[in-house]
Amino acid sequence: MRLHLVELVLFSTYAELRAERARSYLGLLWWIVEPAMNMGVYYLVFSVIFRMGGPDYIPFLLIGLTLWQWFKSCISHGGYSIWQQLPLVRQVKLPLQVFPSVQILADTVKFLCILAILLVVLWCTGYPPNVTYIALLPVLLVELVFVAACTYVVAAVVPLVPDLRFVIEQVLNVLMFLSGVVFALDGLPPNLRRWFEFNPIVELIDAGRGILMHAQWPNWPALGRVALVSLALYAFGAWLIRRLTPRYVKLPT
Amino acid sequence: MADPAPDAALREAADVSEPIIRMENVGVAFNAQLRVGSPRFWALEDVDLSLAPGDRLGVVGRNGSGKSTLLRTIAGIITPDRGRLTRAPVSCQLLSLALGFVPHLSGRDNAVLSGLMLGLRRREIMQRLPAILEFSELGDFFDQPISSYSTGMTMRLGFSVAMQVEPDVLLIDEVLAVGDTEFQQKSGSALRARIHSGKTIVFVSHDDEQIRHVCNRALWIEHGRSVMQGPVDDVLAAYHAAPSPSPPSPAGS
Repeated sequence: MRLHLVELVLFSTYAELRAERARSYLGLLWWIVEPAMNMGVYYLVFSVIFRMGGPDYIPFLLIGLTLWQWFKSCISHGGYSIWQQLPLVRQVKLPLQVFPSVQILADTVKFLCILAILLVVLWCTGYPPNVTYIALLPVLLVELVFVAACTYVVAAVVPLVPDLRFVIEQVLNVLMFLSGVVFALDGLPPNLRRWFEFNPIVELIDAGRGILMHAQWPNWPALGRVALVSLALYAFGAWLIRRLTPRYVKLPT
Repeated sequence: MADPAPDAALREAADVSEPIIRMENVGVAFNAQLRVGSPRFWALEDVDLSLAPGDRLGVVGRNGSGKSTLLRTIAGIITPDRGRLTRAPVSCQLLSLALGFVPHLSGRDNAVLSGLMLGLRRREIMQRLPAILEFSELGDFFDQPISSYSTGMTMRLGFSVAMQVEPDVLLIDEVLAVGDTEFQQKSGSALRARIHSGKTIVFVSHDDEQIRHVCNRALWIEHGRSVMQGPVDDVLAAYHAAPSPSPPSPAGS
């Protein structure tokens, strides 16, 4: 039974990526071009127009945006997946975790492509590979669990309250600025900054920047705390989807 | 599906002639609208049903009497809100055509995807792809995206995939044949062969002739209540003798 679900998730992910390629003229190129354009806009606004940051600002911004986009795209695709698949949910008995998982996996594949390009850009602009790259694996794994956890919770609730879609987009926008993606949070007063550290994304992006820019090992205790919170949230999200499944099929069409 | 347990359970159930599915006073309520405090609507109010192995049960009733809801409850997609539903460990599946089809994918990929959703293992579908290709008569179109298919072609593919799944209890909602005239004969006889192979069937239809032809027992439901269960001719006679009842109120009980 379990293996069957793994096959279903993997094949659906392949199908999702493949269908996405077929839906536009440039196909796979958009995986790269869209985030590149997005980064270009932020660069233009914050670096060229507002003259933010110092010489390190460009890699600071690119790393932040790359890690943030992964989170955001999982939420905005996976978070709506059960709601969008309600017609299917009414026809066949399936564990519904499958639907957000497929979107998370598809977005993770795209993220890895962008990460590869980001690394090349960093190497070419004076941030060579270093020994702390080893720590990239645990950092990315923790982020994956956190991303999946948040996506599950959103995916579980949206079918019951579809109105949340409008709120979620705005929350994501605000969250991006509160996560230190475009502004360094170092400038904040310490008593305020402490509150920001409750945001797991801050910790993950900081760890990523430390590794890629400054050859700095992550703050392990902090990363451990984020991992624990993420695992707990993941379990809650999965439970919530199972718990609410009987209600989805009874929603009005 | 390769799991031997359901077969064993089926035989065991047959030996003691225990029903594999039994419903007692089952009720199912839906949310009428997506609104806070919206009244619930009881699509099934009080249904008794028992299904023995090898039964071919026909369900008759007027539009909106809850026939489709009953099928989806038997399939385990909908959980009852009241009453008792007991089920031997058997697989029940709705005959669903084109389940989970994605327009931009090839017929081959869609066959695999749909088969996985219907509970087949990937290697089982791979083995059956030649049979699906042959039965659907799609030829070279099999490797073209199904967005280029006509409705008839999509139905042919959907039917060919659905016939690969062999649940212990097959649930059929009206559909007995699909496609153009020629394929209708072929799909109809394939399905009849399946029905008369000793499988347990629940068949919903408006067509008395089909019910007489397919079923050995019938269940009549009205306004979500089971009125009568027994030999096909008796139930059909009583059903037609009854005056057409008044329409149900939208927020019933």
